[in-house]
Amino acid sequence: MRKPVLLKDSVLSDKRVGLPIAAKRAVSQHQQRKAFGLALLYLSPALLFLIAFTYIPFLRSIWLSFFITNPQGDTVRFNGINYYTRILNLDGSGRSEYLQSMLTTVYFSLLVVPLGIVFALALALLATLNVKAILFFRTIFTSSIAISVASASVIWALIYSPTTRATQWIIDLLHLNTHSLLQHSSTALFAVAFMTTWTSLGFNFIVTLAGIQAIPKDIYESARIDGASSWQSFRFITLPLLTPTLLFLMLISTIQSFQAFTQFNVLIGNEGPDSATDVFVFAIFTAFWKDNRYGFASAMSVVLFLILLALTSIQYRLLDQRVHYQ
Amino acid sequence: MSLAESHNPQEIGRPILNLGALIRTGLLYAALSIVALLVLLPLLFALSLSVQGPTLSPTLLPDFSKLDWSSFQDVFREEPNLTRWIVNSFVVSLAVTLGQLITSALAAYALANIDFPGKSFFFFVFLGSLMIPWESTIIPNYLTITRLGWKDSYQGLIIPFMASGFGVFLLRQHFKAIPRDLYEAAVIDGCSSTRYLWSILVPLSRPALATLAVYTFLNTWNQYYWPLLIVDSPEWRTTQIGITAFRSSEVTIYNLQMASTIIVMLPTLILLVLGQRHLVSGLTAGALKG
Repeated sequence: MRKPVLLKDSVLSDKRVGLPIAAKRAVSQHQQRKAFGLALLYLSPALLFLIAFTYIPFLRSIWLSFFITNPQGDTVRFNGINYYTRILNLDGSGRSEYLQSMLTTVYFSLLVVPLGIVFALALALLATLNVKAILFFRTIFTSSIAISVASASVIWALIYSPTTRATQWIIDLLHLNTHSLLQHSSTALFAVAFMTTWTSLGFNFIVTLAGIQAIPKDIYESARIDGASSWQSFRFITLPLLTPTLLFLMLISTIQSFQAFTQFNVLIGNEGPDSATDVFVFAIFTAFWKDNRYGFASAMSVVLFLILLALTSIQYRLLDQRVHYQ
Repeated sequence: MSLAESHNPQEIGRPILNLGALIRTGLLYAALSIVALLVLLPLLFALSLSVQGPTLSPTLLPDFSKLDWSSFQDVFREEPNLTRWIVNSFVVSLAVTLGQLITSALAAYALANIDFPGKSFFFFVFLGSLMIPWESTIIPNYLTITRLGWKDSYQGLIIPFMASGFGVFLLRQHFKAIPRDLYEAAVIDGCSSTRYLWSILVPLSRPALATLAVYTFLNTWNQYYWPLLIVDSPEWRTTQIGITAFRSSEVTIYNLQMASTIIVMLPTLILLVLGQRHLVSGLTAGALKG
């Protein structure tokens, strides 16, 4: 790339010599075309993979959602928006199981999100304690980041299993007529939610800790001099200044809980009690994988995309505010 | 002398203060240890079950007088495919990580260092890919991979993940932070743009590349949905599919099941301890933009 410098020199000399403007423009256009070619060369590997495995499949999902498909995934017959009206119960059939599964997903996130934030906040406050071995404890608190949802599900399946009797005391306490918390319609979703909270603990902790550490120390210092108790400085300094972080965490966990699949497939499979654990992503999986209804499953995935898009746009707006705030 | 001593409150107060501080520190450590234990409880539970021998009625705490560590060896004999699963996961995770590093670095270089028409459009294409959730692409991708005959193959597990909008975005931010003067100086010295990328930009961006590498490796190692669809025969399973299938197999031997789960977790746990800083920055950046 000696050229740009040469160009600069030549532009300088152009001024002195007084080359015609058209010639200068020709040089710069040639230069631009060359830069474009070079850039495209560098961009092309990433671009080709993203187009082939993200953009085209996404458009194909939308296309498929308007068709009835055969088990090979070929479109058989145009179906209009029938799948969408079926999912949203606008077809007048009164069958609302897909709306119901969206509602179950909302319940699930209402369990996961507050639990996750409370635990993360508690851990993050502990992790700001001023003791020597604090880095060691921070690593432990972060550990669940490295544990896959699949591994965690295998372990928690045994924790909830009647064989190990690890959760028998909860069943006794609630006087439930069941062998396992996962098999009772009133506790199954909560059991999966609690396990999910554990798997996301490390991530939630890290984000919250980073948020606390970003609060300037001198605010606490002056509060202490003014005689504020540690509860007061938590209530009136930490909590308000941490609100943007917690809001952000809330949205991220909501999006993640809307996409939760692994734990439902491993812990519950298709034997959920009274469809109490039939979340939307699992309903997509059933339509796609078990029933081979590719068109219908695509329509569901487009609906999910729209829900997540709405959540993400709220998240971006929030992030913008946070940037202005600082 | 004695007058001065008795009037120095610090001298009198220090021993008492030290004792108080000592008790305080002790209490803090006790609280931290209890919470750490609670956080680790599921892992300790898994470890406890894995050392109890092939019993059908495991207890929460093992008999510490006769811990049976043989399950960590036996599991390789009982499930001969376990070694293969681990190899599969390593091959796939390393290939995807390397692939994403290369494609992201090249694209990020173009976006950060070259002035060309349509730059913001291309940037938007990369950023926009982050808005598309995998659920909305997985059905056509599955149909494509099946049609290509790539089920039960490394290319089926690797090729769809060779590029990531997040990787491009992350590296672009770091490349942009490197002063432009450096580029101009290198160019004056006769450095070609490709050489500038590989011998100056890449070494200088090692932290960012490490972040992307650790983050991608972890995510790929822990993948579940895609391999579940793409893998039919047991020897092509990745570790995550392997351990969950192992669980639902008819003979449930708890110690082997937990031993295999722990073995499969080790690479990512080691990665966490060694690369915690990179992992943390990758995860928080990923969440911010994901």
